[in-house]
Amino acid sequence: MKKTGIIVAILAVVAIIFLWGVNVNNRLVSSDENVQKAWAQVENVYKRRADLIPQLVATVQGAANFEKGTLTEVIQARAGIDNAKVDPTQLSEEQVAAYQKAQDNLGKALANTIKVTVERYPELTATQGFRDLQVQLEGTENRIAVERGKFNEAVQGYNTSLRRFPTSIIAGMLGFEKKGYFTAPEGSDEPVQVEFNF
Amino acid sequence: MLRWCKYAIWLLLLTAPFAAQAEWLPEKPNRLVNDYSGILSQQQNAALEQRLVAFNDSTSNQIVVVITPTIEGDDEDAAAQRVGESWGVGQAEFDNGLVILIKSKTEEENWGAVAIATGYGVEGALPDLFCKRIIEDEMIGPLGDGDYYRALTQALDIIEPVLAGEYSYAQYKKDENRKAAIAGLTSIVLLVVIIILVARYAKKHPDQWNSRGGTGGGMLFGGPVGGTWRGGYSSGGGFGGFGGFGGGSFGGGGASGRF
Repeated sequence: MKKTGIIVAILAVVAIIFLWGVNVNNRLVSSDENVQKAWAQVENVYKRRADLIPQLVATVQGAANFEKGTLTEVIQARAGIDNAKVDPTQLSEEQVAAYQKAQDNLGKALANTIKVTVERYPELTATQGFRDLQVQLEGTENRIAVERGKFNEAVQGYNTSLRRFPTSIIAGMLGFEKKGYFTAPEGSDEPVQVEFNF
Repeated sequence: MLRWCKYAIWLLLLTAPFAAQAEWLPEKPNRLVNDYSGILSQQQNAALEQRLVAFNDSTSNQIVVVITPTIEGDDEDAAAQRVGESWGVGQAEFDNGLVILIKSKTEEENWGAVAIATGYGVEGALPDLFCKRIIEDEMIGPLGDGDYYRALTQALDIIEPVLAGEYSYAQYKKDENRKAAIAGLTSIVLLVVIIILVARYAKKHPDQWNSRGGTGGGMLFGGPVGGTWRGGYSSGGGFGGFGGFGGGSFGGGGASGRF
């Protein structure tokens, strides 16, 4: 009689732990889902920017005394982002950092190219086509800043629930790992500011 | 113990960069026209508010106007986006909100800026280039002359018809009617179930039922019936006033300009 009592008690505890584990798992899964959704948006807006580069190249090439060197930097940086692939189900810190590095590189190259173009080809920058391109690039940068912020918020929620006791005990066993943030350049909490208004 | 302390510090460090919220951003208001600089006259303010409330009522698109003396080092595009996102301008399911933010010229900060931020659902109807055109062709001129009201009405004259085509009111109404019908049906079914249960109970325990009197039954019926009535009123009401923001989301679309 006493034995069965003990067995029942053990079974009850096991059942409670199991149910708790299921609950934790489900919560983390939906949090993870949120992060992946935010990541998809981040990739969207970065792709939007990458898609504008051929347009920029074509526009600048149309300048009267065009020099090839003007576009080398941006073309190389554009090629660089294809190498920084990220697994959206993982989004480890290293992956996000590598992705950010490649994209920030492209952002800087873009800003430089625009700056040089404005200096070298003033008559080109006065055209409607170039100004439209500037507006589009600016809008894309705005979107990138917003989606990066939203992604960081989603990751923050996920990482926080991952580290919170008692979830932290079993999160690792369930296969959930910390995800990476977009980091701000040193000394500021804003993403790289790329200015397209000249 | 030490480990928990370490965790806590880590958490603090991680959350610190995101906790930074713009301080100039006012609390979510209950109006569509928000002139924190006090530039619009009372009549202009009221006329604009009425216009935007009517537009909201007829199309469900929410356009918010913010005139602020400062955005405290924020980018004007980011400022407009932040207003839209944190106030939840537009309906949550359609993200059909729009923010027109004007940073007015003041004695301390002698530069003005205007930004249009489009909700996710409006980006298609109002691409960034279109917003830029509206700002350059309709707003910058009058804003430079200090005629904020004309800048706003000229911009709205273009924006409103565009947005009205993006999402049809007929469709919205159909959805609303369907929702109302489902809600009505549910409450009727509930009522019938309750009546049956009460009737059964009364049949089984006639003495108890009688001794308790009608109050219990009255209370039982009072609940759902009262609920339905109140629902009917709230959906019919809302003349003139602004019904509140719908929780729309913004992704950084739009454009800006300086004056």
